[in-house]
Amino acid sequence: MKPLALLAVLSLLAPPALASDWTVDVPKSRLGFSGVQNGAPFQGSFGKWSAEIAFDPAHPAAGHAKVTIDLASATTGDTQRDSALPQAEWFDVKGFPQATFEATGFVAKGGDAYEAPGTLTIRGIGKAVVLPFTLAVSDDKASAKGHLSLVRTGFGVGQGVWATGEWVALEVGVDVDLVATKSGS
Amino acid sequence: MRYHLVAIVLHWVIALGILALIVLGLAMTHLGLAPMAKFQMYQLHKSIGITVLLAVLLRILWRLTHRPPPLPAMLPLEKAAAEGTHGLLYVLMLVIPLSGWTLVSVSPFNLPTVLYGAVPWPHLPVFPDLADKPAVEAVVKFIHGKLAWLLTAVIALHAAAALRHHFMLRDGILDRMLPGRTAKEPRS
Repeated sequence: MKPLALLAVLSLLAPPALASDWTVDVPKSRLGFSGVQNGAPFQGSFGKWSAEIAFDPAHPAAGHAKVTIDLASATTGDTQRDSALPQAEWFDVKGFPQATFEATGFVAKGGDAYEAPGTLTIRGIGKAVVLPFTLAVSDDKASAKGHLSLVRTGFGVGQGVWATGEWVALEVGVDVDLVATKSGS
Repeated sequence: MRYHLVAIVLHWVIALGILALIVLGLAMTHLGLAPMAKFQMYQLHKSIGITVLLAVLLRILWRLTHRPPPLPAMLPLEKAAAEGTHGLLYVLMLVIPLSGWTLVSVSPFNLPTVLYGAVPWPHLPVFPDLADKPAVEAVVKFIHGKLAWLLTAVIALHAAAALRHHFMLRDGILDRMLPGRTAKEPRS
């Protein structure tokens, strides 16, 4: 099949850009994370990331989302920690510049509660996770808030001497606080 | 004649720094502290260690470009002991912080150094990329620790000699390195 013809077929197969597509307002949103170092909790966030979201509250299962996170943009307000994070022991941004979360459908849990089951990939290691979140939609604006608890070593974050919880707790949190606008409306 | 004010300030900055480094070094490795206290002590030890290294480099530069005041009359053996002790002090004051910097650079923790939580300080080259970092680290750690004990002994000798000159021989040698005292002669 010629490339052009293939493209034509693919565009027919792809779902049309419905009003269920959302544009995330990155500056107004926050993609954060939290951890505990030497017994002291800390908060951080990613400065550079993007999200493509297709979500129709009437048909959540047909939705889809892909979040791409630039791991080198992680900051926690501590110079030492922030210079350690991109290193091979932690995010290894040279080897794996980006982390992704791809949700293949949403599940309505009643009220404003939803779940986004999907695959989270960090350092090339993909794992099935379920991101629970609450959603508030008014007209063409939506805000979604969710929290995910992860064991960092499941993704190889913290190699060698850091692979135990002695200095940095194994459990980390991911905080999602998205503000989005309905596309094309 | 007394030492130039620059030499005096460097001498006492280095002296206080080394004292703090010895206390911190012993505390952080022997007290079995909580992780945060231990971690912060290591960071402070690194910060002060680099500060002392820089001060020692300035001190050596100053010493090479400015003649120290002449020693008072003493036996050749005493003169040799004084000069030998000073030489050993300089060698240890260079080798120990450099071995500490090496230790940080080769550590499997690969923890970035940020002096006093504000100034990023690089690792030495080569060491972070060595294949067997834990083995090299163990050797350098041993050297760093043993030399620190040797320095502690040499400092004790140096201080004992200064006190002997001050209180027993009364030849004014300690006054040459003390700030804030009225000099009998103009500063050189």
